Amino acid sequence: MKTYEVFLKKDGKTQFRHVGSMQAPDAEMALPLARESYARRAEGDLMWLVDRDDLIVADDDLIAPNANKPHRHNDGKRVADHRRSHRDKEAGE
Amino acid sequence: MNDSLSPGASEWLLAFADDEHIIGARHTSWIGLGPFLEEDLAFCSIAQDELGHAIALYELLGVDVDRFALLREPSEYRSAWLCELPCEDWDLALVRHWLYDEAEALRWESVANSSLEELRFLAARAQREERFHLDHAEMYLRRLAHGDAEGQNRINAAVASVLPTALGLWEPVAGEPEAISDGITTQSSAELTVLWRDRVEAKLASWGYDWQWPTEIPDQQGRTQRSRHFERLLRDLQAVITVDVDTVW
Repeated sequence: MKTYEVFLKKDGKTQFRHVGSMQAPDAEMALPLARESYARRAEGDLMWLVDRDDLIVADDDLIAPNANKPHRHNDGKRVADHRRSHRDKEAGE
Repeated sequence: MNDSLSPGASEWLLAFADDEHIIGARHTSWIGLGPFLEEDLAFCSIAQDELGHAIALYELLGVDVDRFALLREPSEYRSAWLCELPCEDWDLALVRHWLYDEAEALRWESVANSSLEELRFLAARAQREERFHLDHAEMYLRRLAHGDAEGQNRINAAVASVLPTALGLWEPVAGEPEAISDGITTQSSAELTVLWRDRVEAKLASWGYDWQWPTEIPDQQGRTQRSRHFERLLRDLQAVITVDVDTVW
């Protein structure tokens, strides 16, 4: 059996989203089995299957160094606090 | 009941509806038991399609679907024995699925130009589903034909076991001539049998299975007789509704 990654695009959207994985003997059988496993309730209007053997997989070493860089994250809190204090000051005038 | 239908037309539609109901029930019994998860889902999805057809056909008859589908006397059903077979091994279930869907596809073709408008609409929808059902069955049978000896032997044995009962599906109900003269269907069971035999024969030959047409076909007496497997099946199907027939589930 081979493993396939299943992607669906919803009607009205442009991006495909990964919805899960599945097993099938080969590509021809994978398509109808994927349809029944992941799209039988019309969860999407287009479907892609990717043979897991064809994925280009990054090494952990390539990804890991970006794990601890809080300066790259902006939760918007400081800007929100600033706007609120400005608004409160205006209301007080 | 739908009074605009003649008794013959009603009986003909009833036979089709009961076949779809009973085959759907048999196929759904594979939930959790299929050869692998994805096939389990695919086969039960096919079963749901067949149950959907059954509901639509019962609705054409103008009946209270749940009660009518589940609470008749066995003699009032018109299901073919092919649908009633338990087929508790996957090879039997697969071969029965293919033989039934070859027949079902022909039956939908035979009502594509029905005098009954709702039936024409239903046929158009069902034919799209049937293409997939047949592809599904054939994918397996083609692969098993080119696989190892065990698979070939099991399919050979399953074809030999199921084929006589499958031929019995074409035994017409008494009302068929009236259904044809009303234009409900445009082809007789005898005509469809010829087409079905041609398709079955051509595919089995192309796959290279070892088989032959049976000489003995069980007599279902115009589908008025149920097979020995039916009562147990009906009892199982009734397990929930008989708890309280008036409850809306």
